Amino acid sequence: MNYFNISLNEAIKIGALRNSEILVTGGTGFFGKWIIEIIAYLNDNLEFNIKLYLVARNNSLYINEIIKKRNDMFFIKNDVRNLREIPSTVEYIIHAAATPDNSIHMSNPIEVMDTIAQGTKQVLDVALGLDNIKKILNISSGQVYGTLHSNMISENSIGTIDTNSINSIYPEAKRYSETLSIAYKSLYKLPVVQVRPFSFIGPHMGLEKPWAINNFIKDAIKFRKIKIFGNGKPIRSYMYPTDMAWWLLSMLVDSKNGVIYNLGSSEGISLEKLAMKIKTKVGVDVNIDILNMNEDSAVFVPDDSLVKNRLDLDIKVDIDEALDKTIDWAIKVL
Amino acid sequence: MDKNKIIIYDVSLRDGSHAISHQLSIEQISKYAKAAEKAKLYAIEVGHGNGLGASSLLVGKSKLSDEIMLKTAKENLVNTKLGTHVIPGFATINNNINRAIDIGVDIFRVASHSTEADTTQRHISYIRDKGKEVYGLLMSAHMTNADILLEEAIKMQAYGAEAIVILDSAGSMLPHDVKKRVELLSKNLKVPVGFHGHNNLGLAVSNSIVALDSGAKILDASIKGFGAGAGNTQLEVLVGLLTKYNYETSIDLYGVLNLASLADKLLLKEAITISSLSIVSGLSKVFSGFSKHIQRISIKYDVDPRDVFFELGRQKVIAGQEDKIIDVAIKLSKAKGK
Repeated sequence: MNYFNISLNEAIKIGALRNSEILVTGGTGFFGKWIIEIIAYLNDNLEFNIKLYLVARNNSLYINEIIKKRNDMFFIKNDVRNLREIPSTVEYIIHAAATPDNSIHMSNPIEVMDTIAQGTKQVLDVALGLDNIKKILNISSGQVYGTLHSNMISENSIGTIDTNSINSIYPEAKRYSETLSIAYKSLYKLPVVQVRPFSFIGPHMGLEKPWAINNFIKDAIKFRKIKIFGNGKPIRSYMYPTDMAWWLLSMLVDSKNGVIYNLGSSEGISLEKLAMKIKTKVGVDVNIDILNMNEDSAVFVPDDSLVKNRLDLDIKVDIDEALDKTIDWAIKVL
Repeated sequence: MDKNKIIIYDVSLRDGSHAISHQLSIEQISKYAKAAEKAKLYAIEVGHGNGLGASSLLVGKSKLSDEIMLKTAKENLVNTKLGTHVIPGFATINNNINRAIDIGVDIFRVASHSTEADTTQRHISYIRDKGKEVYGLLMSAHMTNADILLEEAIKMQAYGAEAIVILDSAGSMLPHDVKKRVELLSKNLKVPVGFHGHNNLGLAVSNSIVALDSGAKILDASIKGFGAGAGNTQLEVLVGLLTKYNYETSIDLYGVLNLASLADKLLLKEAITISSLSIVSGLSKVFSGFSKHIQRISIKYDVDPRDVFFELGRQKVIAGQEDKIIDVAIKLSKAKGK
């Protein structure tokens, strides 16, 4: 299925990627799948001739099917912590090997921290051996901002994280990965850039993941009552993955080494309004139960002005279109 | 959730199974369910004392299959929800949980020992994904300090649990133990906290009130205290008491009092009392459900069941380790030169 519509003028902006070789760790995850989609589009429609290497512990049926059909994508089966040899011709790395699923963070906290810490170190060590390395995007997390009291989170915001809490497994490990990669930049001049993703919604999402928007969509499609456990006031924003993939490739080309970039939509929406939108779009007459079990009204929305101003990037798919497309997809897969 | 609105969750036909060696009959379940519906109870839990799939030689065979027990209850319920107890290991997703979903169980309460929440991940996530109400239960919460209990509760919350209930499985918690744990969890979790009391030291009802004052929104209780060992928080007493504290429960007072009268005839061969052995269970901090097994095995090996309880307490045994009872009885018997 073709998700993209990239014009020739847009393609010129990322022209540096023509005939390049890109390696993605976490290649079978959400980010990996969307990098596959966009590179397949660029190669098939705009003759970019990119070679893509996907690193992951285990192959998936989905990836396997793609690899079998194509001669421009290659799977490297390896735990990122054990990554030793990669093609010496790789020029770009997107290091996305870590799950944001907090149920896994809770069950395997040491494994999660170790994969992020040792995995990042291994990727950076391997990158040291690449003669033509041009950019390494360290996919960190919007969670590294911790607790803040501002409405829009800009890249220079610094919040607090309780380092003595099981809730801090993922963000604290991601903070470490950022600082470690900056150490490599400082000592070895590696071209490292930090990317801090927020929330996404779209095809290839694991709908079983325990996030509010997933539950809302699943419940509405299955004619079940939509439950909001808190007061419905927390504000989130959701980026559609075609925008996410385009932003990442643009960052490979245009980002400045050592700089942090937010990756997400700045269009905030409360969970209550989100549930109402989903209910309307699915077109079902189900109740929305606001259970008021907590008073959380936190805002988790990025300020995207740096990305817009410096990298000339924008959101093409707004929340309404993102929901329409995601619901169409979810109805097919559920 | 309104400040004074709380959920009373009736565990009579599940925890009470321990008291009658899991021999619930169709008549008992159907009559009780009908009366519970009339009393406007929020939910009743039905099944083997150790939950779905637990019927076995190790912890006792049920008279009826899980399927028959749940179907019988469901046929007699309209507004009152049907709940079931799930311990991963006993209950599997394919053999037990899917069947229970098909029968129409509304609430699944997935339990683990209070330090082992990670064993519940697949079960909680699966049930939540199926759109059913799912709680996380931390058993033998008295054996774990408040900070660790909170970490385990946070795990269950992350897996998708919509409430966390802590169980005083041996009835050994003192009011300040309850306060410390419930207060910490209520302040730090995004989902409601519940408390499940046992009456080994005569504190089940008062500990439940302490839990409420400390932030709990769910209280487990059973009719006439019908439950393992010295029984649970006595439902009809609790409901009456809550009217004095101005808490809303939606339960009909006369209905629940009628339920208590029915239980006298229908469920209880003998009144649930605090036996000497139950006191020892509370003091030794060993799960009340061990009582009947300890009594039986102590007779066989001619040892004092109180000694068995205290030795098991020293070994910090937990539910599911019932096979340890024989080991301890043999050890004590040998020590006596038998």
